[in-house]
Amino acid sequence: MKIDKYPVIIGETSMVFEFISQGIHGSIPKLVIYSKTHLHNFYNLGFGDKDETTRQIDDEVVTNNGDSEKVLATVASTLYILSTNFRMQWFLQTGSTKARTRLYRIGISNNLSEIEEDVEVYGLVGDKWQPFQKQTEFDGFLVLKKKSNFTT
Amino acid sequence: MKQAKNTDKKPTVIKVDKNLDKYLNKGLFKEKIDKANEVLKTVGLPKFSK
Repeated sequence: MKIDKYPVIIGETSMVFEFISQGIHGSIPKLVIYSKTHLHNFYNLGFGDKDETTRQIDDEVVTNNGDSEKVLATVASTLYILSTNFRMQWFLQTGSTKARTRLYRIGISNNLSEIEEDVEVYGLVGDKWQPFQKQTEFDGFLVLKKKSNFTT
Repeated sequence: MKQAKNTDKKPTVIKVDKNLDKYLNKGLFKEKIDKANEVLKTVGLPKFSK
Protein backbone atom coordinates (compact mmCIF):
# COMPACT_ATOMS: atom_id res chain seq x y z
CA MET A 1 0.00 0.00 0.00
CA LYS A 2 1.29 3.40 -0.85
CA ILE A 3 -0.12 4.90 2.32
CA ASP A 4 2.26 5.71 5.14
CA LYS A 5 2.18 3.36 8.12
CA TYR A 6 3.06 3.62 11.77
CA PRO A 7 6.01 1.57 13.08
CA VAL A 8 4.89 -1.36 15.20
CA ILE A 9 5.96 -3.30 18.27
CA ILE A 10 5.36 -6.99 17.82
CA GLY A 11 4.84 -9.81 20.30
CA GLU A 12 7.07 -12.89 20.18
CA THR A 13 4.18 -14.90 18.79
CA SER A 14 3.77 -12.47 15.86
CA MET A 15 0.07 -12.45 16.67
CA VAL A 16 -0.09 -9.22 18.67
CA PHE A 17 0.97 -5.78 17.42
CA GLU A 18 1.00 -2.37 19.03
CA PHE A 19 1.41 1.01 17.43
CA ILE A 20 0.76 4.62 18.35
CA SER A 21 -1.76 6.68 16.42
CA GLN A 22 -0.62 10.29 16.34
CA GLY A 23 -3.22 12.85 15.40
CA ILE A 24 -5.32 15.77 16.44
CA HIS A 25 -6.22 14.18 19.78
CA GLY A 26 -2.65 13.25 20.60
CA SER A 27 -0.98 9.85 20.88
CA ILE A 28 -3.33 6.87 21.16
CA PRO A 29 -1.97 3.33 21.56
CA LYS A 30 -3.62 0.74 19.33
CA LEU A 31 -3.51 -3.02 19.49
CA VAL A 32 -4.02 -5.55 16.70
CA ILE A 33 -4.64 -9.13 17.82
CA TYR A 34 -4.99 -12.18 15.60
CA SER A 35 -6.95 -14.91 17.37
CA LYS A 36 -7.27 -18.50 16.29
CA THR A 37 -10.68 -19.73 15.20
CA HIS A 38 -11.97 -23.28 15.06
CA LEU A 39 -10.59 -23.59 11.54
CA HIS A 40 -6.89 -24.36 11.12
CA ASN A 41 -4.89 -21.44 9.70
CA PHE A 42 -7.90 -19.19 9.97
CA TYR A 43 -7.58 -16.16 12.22
CA ASN A 44 -9.87 -13.43 13.41
CA LEU A 45 -8.50 -9.92 13.38
CA GLY A 46 -9.33 -7.78 16.42
CA PHE A 47 -8.24 -4.18 16.67
CA GLY A 48 -8.91 -1.35 19.08
CA ASP A 49 -7.58 1.31 21.41
CA LYS A 50 -5.47 0.23 24.35
CA ASP A 51 -6.43 1.73 27.68
CA GLU A 52 -3.10 2.28 29.44
CA THR A 53 -4.81 2.35 32.84
CA THR A 54 -6.99 -0.74 32.67
CA ARG A 55 -4.87 -2.59 30.06
CA GLN A 56 -8.13 -3.38 28.31
CA ILE A 57 -8.94 -2.91 24.63
CA ASP A 58 -11.84 -0.84 23.40
CA ASP A 59 -12.85 -1.87 19.91
CA GLU A 60 -15.95 0.29 19.80
CA VAL A 61 -14.41 3.67 20.52
CA VAL A 62 -14.47 6.27 17.75
CA THR A 63 -11.17 8.04 18.13
CA ASN A 64 -11.44 10.53 15.29
CA ASN A 65 -7.73 11.21 15.51
CA GLY A 66 -7.63 12.33 11.91
CA ASP A 67 -5.40 9.49 10.75
CA SER A 68 -7.83 6.65 10.03
CA GLU A 69 -6.29 5.94 6.62
CA LYS A 70 -2.82 5.52 8.13
CA VAL A 71 -4.22 3.47 11.03
CA LEU A 72 -6.05 1.09 8.67
CA ALA A 73 -2.98 0.79 6.45
CA THR A 74 -0.92 -0.13 9.52
CA VAL A 75 -3.46 -2.73 10.62
CA ALA A 76 -3.51 -4.23 7.13
CA SER A 77 0.29 -4.28 6.97
CA THR A 78 0.49 -6.54 10.03
CA LEU A 79 -1.10 -9.25 7.90
CA TYR A 80 2.13 -9.47 5.91
CA ILE A 81 4.16 -10.21 9.03
CA LEU A 82 1.65 -12.72 10.35
CA SER A 83 1.46 -14.41 7.02
CA THR A 84 5.23 -14.63 6.69
CA ASN A 85 5.61 -16.24 10.08
CA PHE A 86 2.70 -18.65 9.83
CA ARG A 87 1.19 -20.75 7.14
CA MET A 88 -1.79 -18.54 7.55
CA GLN A 89 -4.04 -18.42 4.59
CA TRP A 90 -7.14 -16.68 5.79
CA PHE A 91 -8.40 -14.13 8.13
CA LEU A 92 -11.80 -12.80 8.87
CA GLN A 93 -12.79 -9.51 10.31
CA THR A 94 -16.08 -8.14 11.39
CA GLY A 95 -16.50 -4.64 12.71
CA SER A 96 -17.50 -4.33 16.34
CA THR A 97 -20.05 -1.79 15.18
CA LYS A 98 -21.67 -0.99 11.86
CA ALA A 99 -19.62 2.20 11.73
CA ARG A 100 -16.40 0.26 12.12
CA THR A 101 -17.43 -2.31 9.54
CA ARG A 102 -18.10 0.59 7.19
CA LEU A 103 -14.67 2.00 8.00
CA TYR A 104 -13.10 -1.34 7.08
CA ARG A 105 -15.05 -1.37 3.83
CA ILE A 106 -13.84 2.12 2.94
CA GLY A 107 -10.27 1.18 3.82
CA ILE A 108 -10.41 -1.89 1.59
CA SER A 109 -12.14 0.06 -1.21
CA ASN A 110 -9.52 2.80 -1.20
CA ASN A 111 -6.71 0.28 -1.63
CA LEU A 112 -8.47 -2.49 -3.50
CA SER A 113 -6.26 -2.67 -6.57
CA GLU A 114 -3.13 -2.97 -4.47
CA ILE A 115 -4.69 -5.31 -1.93
CA GLU A 116 -5.81 -7.64 -4.69
CA GLU A 117 -2.22 -8.07 -5.83
CA ASP A 118 -1.74 -10.27 -2.79
CA VAL A 119 -5.09 -11.46 -1.54
CA GLU A 120 -8.63 -12.24 -2.54
CA VAL A 121 -11.24 -10.37 -0.55
CA TYR A 122 -14.76 -11.58 0.09
CA GLY A 123 -17.64 -9.89 1.87
CA LEU A 124 -20.44 -11.44 3.85
CA VAL A 125 -23.96 -10.46 2.86
CA GLY A 126 -26.56 -12.22 4.95
CA ASP A 127 -25.52 -15.85 4.82
CA LYS A 128 -23.45 -15.70 1.66
CA TRP A 129 -19.90 -14.76 0.76
CA GLN A 130 -19.39 -12.77 -2.39
CA PRO A 131 -16.36 -11.16 -4.02
CA PHE A 132 -15.71 -7.73 -2.51
CA GLN A 133 -17.34 -4.83 -4.31
CA LYS A 134 -16.75 -1.23 -3.42
CA GLN A 135 -20.36 -0.11 -3.18
CA THR A 136 -21.77 -3.09 -1.29
CA GLU A 137 -22.43 -3.05 2.46
CA PHE A 138 -20.98 -6.14 4.09
CA ASP A 139 -21.36 -7.72 7.51
CA GLY A 140 -17.81 -9.03 7.55
CA PHE A 141 -14.80 -9.71 5.38
CA LEU A 142 -12.73 -12.73 4.59
CA VAL A 143 -9.29 -12.59 3.06
CA LEU A 144 -7.47 -15.35 1.28
CA LYS A 145 -3.82 -14.89 0.54
CA LYS A 146 -2.54 -15.66 -2.90
CA LYS A 147 0.34 -17.92 -1.98
CA SER A 148 2.54 -17.12 -4.93
CA ASN A 149 2.41 -13.38 -4.30
CA PHE A 150 2.82 -13.32 -0.57
CA THR A 151 6.40 -14.10 0.22
CA THR A 152 7.88 -10.61 0.43
CA MET B 1 12.96 14.33 14.22
CA LYS B 2 10.32 13.54 11.65
CA GLN B 3 9.99 9.88 10.78
CA ALA B 4 10.49 8.79 7.18
CA LYS B 5 7.38 7.61 5.39
CA ASN B 6 6.90 3.88 5.18
CA THR B 7 4.96 2.95 2.06
CA ASP B 8 6.23 -0.64 1.97
CA LYS B 9 3.67 -3.38 2.39
CA LYS B 10 5.20 -4.49 5.68
CA PRO B 11 5.35 -2.17 8.68
CA THR B 12 8.62 -1.19 10.31
CA VAL B 13 9.11 -3.31 13.43
CA ILE B 14 10.79 -1.24 16.11
CA LYS B 15 10.79 -3.80 18.88
CA VAL B 16 9.77 -7.34 19.84
CA ASP B 17 8.02 -7.34 23.19
CA LYS B 18 6.90 -10.66 24.61
CA ASN B 19 4.68 -8.82 27.09
CA LEU B 20 2.27 -8.13 24.25
CA ASP B 21 1.52 -11.84 23.99
CA LYS B 22 -0.31 -11.77 27.30
CA TYR B 23 -3.23 -10.24 25.43
CA LEU B 24 -3.73 -13.55 23.67
CA ASN B 25 -4.83 -15.14 26.93
CA LYS B 26 -7.18 -12.43 28.07
CA GLY B 27 -10.21 -13.57 26.13
CA LEU B 28 -10.30 -10.31 24.18
CA PHE B 29 -12.72 -9.94 21.28
CA LYS B 30 -14.48 -13.10 22.45
CA GLU B 31 -17.78 -11.96 20.98
CA LYS B 32 -16.16 -11.38 17.58
CA ILE B 33 -14.34 -14.68 17.64
CA ASP B 34 -17.54 -16.49 18.60
CA LYS B 35 -19.29 -14.72 15.75
CA ALA B 36 -16.50 -15.65 13.34
CA ASN B 37 -16.73 -19.29 14.41
CA GLU B 38 -20.50 -19.20 14.00
CA VAL B 39 -20.19 -17.75 10.48
CA LEU B 40 -17.61 -20.36 9.54
CA LYS B 41 -19.88 -23.07 10.86
CA THR B 42 -23.14 -21.90 9.34
CA VAL B 43 -22.06 -20.08 6.17
CA GLY B 44 -18.83 -21.95 5.49
CA LEU B 45 -16.24 -20.59 3.11
CA PRO B 46 -16.67 -18.95 -0.27
CA LYS B 47 -15.81 -20.78 -3.45
CA PHE B 48 -12.35 -19.48 -4.02
CA SER B 49 -11.11 -18.74 -7.47
CA LYS B 50 -7.80 -20.48 -6.65
